[in-house]
Amino acid sequence: MSSETQKILTTGGIPLEESLKKVEKRNKIKAFLLVSPLLFFLIIAYISPIVSLLFTSIDDRMVTNMLPKTFKAMKQWDGKDLPSEEVFEAFYQDYKILIEEKRHGKLSTQMNYEKNGFKSILKKLARKMKKFEEGNYKEQIMAVHKRWADVEYWRALKRRAPTYTYSKYLKGVDMYENEEGKIVEVPEERRIYKILWLRTLEIAFFVTLFCFLMAYPIAHLLATLPMKYSNLLMICVLLPFWTSLLVRTASWMILLQQQGIVNDVFVWTGLVADDSRPEMMYNKTGTYVAMTQILLPFMVLPLYSVMKTISPSLMRAGKSLGGTPFITFWKVYFPLTIPGIGAGCLLVFIIAVGYYITPELVGGASGTLISNQIAYQMKSTLDWSFASAMGLMLLTGVLVVYWVYNKLVGIDNIKLG
Amino acid sequence: MKNFVKALMSLFFAISVTTSSWAVVMVSWGGAYTESQKLGYGDPAAKKLGIPIDWVDYSGGLSEIKAQIAAGAITWDVIDVYAMDTIVGCDEGLFVEFDFDKDFPPAPDGTPASQDFFTTMPSKCAVGNILYSWTYAYHDEKIGSKKPKKIKDFFNTKKWPGKRGIYKSAMHNLEIALAADGVKPRKGGSKLYEILETDAGLDRAFNKIKELCEDPNGGCVFWSAGAKPPELLMQGEVVMATGWNGRFFNAEIGEGAPLKQVWDAQGLDYQYMSIVKGGPNQADAMKAVAEMTSTHGLAGSAKYIAYAPWRKSSLKVIEAGEPWYKDGKTNMMEQMPTHPNNTKNYFLVDPIFWADNSTEIGERWEAMKAGL
Repeated sequence: MSSETQKILTTGGIPLEESLKKVEKRNKIKAFLLVSPLLFFLIIAYISPIVSLLFTSIDDRMVTNMLPKTFKAMKQWDGKDLPSEEVFEAFYQDYKILIEEKRHGKLSTQMNYEKNGFKSILKKLARKMKKFEEGNYKEQIMAVHKRWADVEYWRALKRRAPTYTYSKYLKGVDMYENEEGKIVEVPEERRIYKILWLRTLEIAFFVTLFCFLMAYPIAHLLATLPMKYSNLLMICVLLPFWTSLLVRTASWMILLQQQGIVNDVFVWTGLVADDSRPEMMYNKTGTYVAMTQILLPFMVLPLYSVMKTISPSLMRAGKSLGGTPFITFWKVYFPLTIPGIGAGCLLVFIIAVGYYITPELVGGASGTLISNQIAYQMKSTLDWSFASAMGLMLLTGVLVVYWVYNKLVGIDNIKLG
Repeated sequence: MKNFVKALMSLFFAISVTTSSWAVVMVSWGGAYTESQKLGYGDPAAKKLGIPIDWVDYSGGLSEIKAQIAAGAITWDVIDVYAMDTIVGCDEGLFVEFDFDKDFPPAPDGTPASQDFFTTMPSKCAVGNILYSWTYAYHDEKIGSKKPKKIKDFFNTKKWPGKRGIYKSAMHNLEIALAADGVKPRKGGSKLYEILETDAGLDRAFNKIKELCEDPNGGCVFWSAGAKPPELLMQGEVVMATGWNGRFFNAEIGEGAPLKQVWDAQGLDYQYMSIVKGGPNQADAMKAVAEMTSTHGLAGSAKYIAYAPWRKSSLKVIEAGEPWYKDGKTNMMEQMPTHPNNTKNYFLVDPIFWADNSTEIGERWEAMKAGL
């Protein structure tokens, strides 16, 4: 039987199977060629910048190449006491070349990220080095500034020797590798990132929860009300969605600040005294309120699209089989909405975890998130490698959430509409 | 129809190319400040040189320009920057290094530019623009009969209960904390920075701020935009707020708001201009900057805002032309942070200290804020 089918030939005398494969292959190439400009564009304009920026978080070739002799000489040094004359001389020679090539400024920026106070002593050294005499560099360098005689600064220099480093990731969780190669926590008063990571998770979680609690009844109303009411309600959901984010955030500021409209109403109705107006803005409360309102449509719309497809006769069937309204809701309706809940929660959580502008404006001191810290590193300290390290950590976190969700619920169960 | 669209698009393209290729793009902080720059020296310089100047707002920091250079698509020519940013930008090779006396015109009496400016520049890429000051202010009608006079009063929550508006970063806050804690800044404020260099001194400053922010009678509201402090005071969100003297002046004199400034322990700070290396219009940018920072250029901006011009010769122009403010009746000299009445107790914000220590102190500051 099978030998017979093999014998089927095309008019050209080639077996049909082969001929079909050929055509299919040609079609595949054609299809690929059709999408290739777009794919090419995506790789160049979207993927490669992201990858290259993420790569800077581990790439430390710049500093390694700036001080080749120093790092070679430092190999023998155990990091306990001040390094030997040999290291100082090597450093002097490396730094001299950098000054000639006008690259010493970049080194001072980089080293200042590693250990604060480097910037000015490197600058001072650059000025004083012109008058250095030959020999005994250790003494001459140490005479420039007292910090050059501090072993901590030389340890910081040694930490920058490897070509690739994960130190920025350690820094992102308030840790560093000390001179013995142990990973330890930074002094307590400088621990900031862990607090921010936890707070970001906490706020994203509660915003998702609040959104869910509010959106579920709204979406249910939208799906079950007669057309003329539900259309009106739909506009009420969509109108804020179409309004600029900044306008919505600013409106909350006007409403909730201490001398704002809501507080004025409280005082006017005698709910609170004029001098003890509650603080609802520039703190965590402000972030919760504004973010929940802004992200609400992202929860309502997927829920609505799922609920719309649930036939009302299912509920009636449940009731006719003897279920109370609650039981029918819980056993019939609710399970059918899970794909919408999954989509909405995942969407809101992922957006909330990386939210920037609203917490920046309304968060004050206690309501800002990790994204605000990333922006600070991008904008103010210009430490882009640290910013991209934290960015990657955030991205990984989101992917983990996605993975867990996939394991628990299954990503195929998501329904956006 | 299609041809029409094509023609329209090519026209837009042509316009965008030509305008961007010959206007100098000047980036500054927006609000009353940019207004004073534009009217004071931007427009006159543009008219004189025949080089149009476009004004763009930004909120500080060098990330945008660093990104533009990294992407090879530079659209900014001149940036109005903090001292610290001129140092970092110069080190990173983002800015053009000046040949000071050659690039900038001398004073009318022939004094070379480098002698006419008050101090030397913090980096080779900076030219002085204005001197401004960090002061604090209160709402004259809401504060009560006793008025704050000293820096100590800013921290006195017993006499003046209520929240304080302070800058979002550690800069300037640590200095006034020490000054309020009884440290005499000494001339130029070097004593403050000497103390801040030590661990004990840093603790002392941090504790003072923390105490204020955690005080149930006090509390802190952090501001970031310069327009915010007068706003917070007018809304009654805070009883006192630190801020930039030009913004307070603008609210008080320009708009007639009942705000009063306190000059005790004011922090003098400088604002600079830097030219982007490889900007779209570098040669014209150089000409425009030289014209704007000339004696008459800098004096011109003081017509619109109470920031002091950096050239000594500009002060003479203002003095001779009093009342210099645009309303024609306010004397500008006494509103200047450099006026002897205002400099009885002051410090100079030290850009080198902050360039050195801003990351570590910044982390500690953020940790403190997060724990409030």
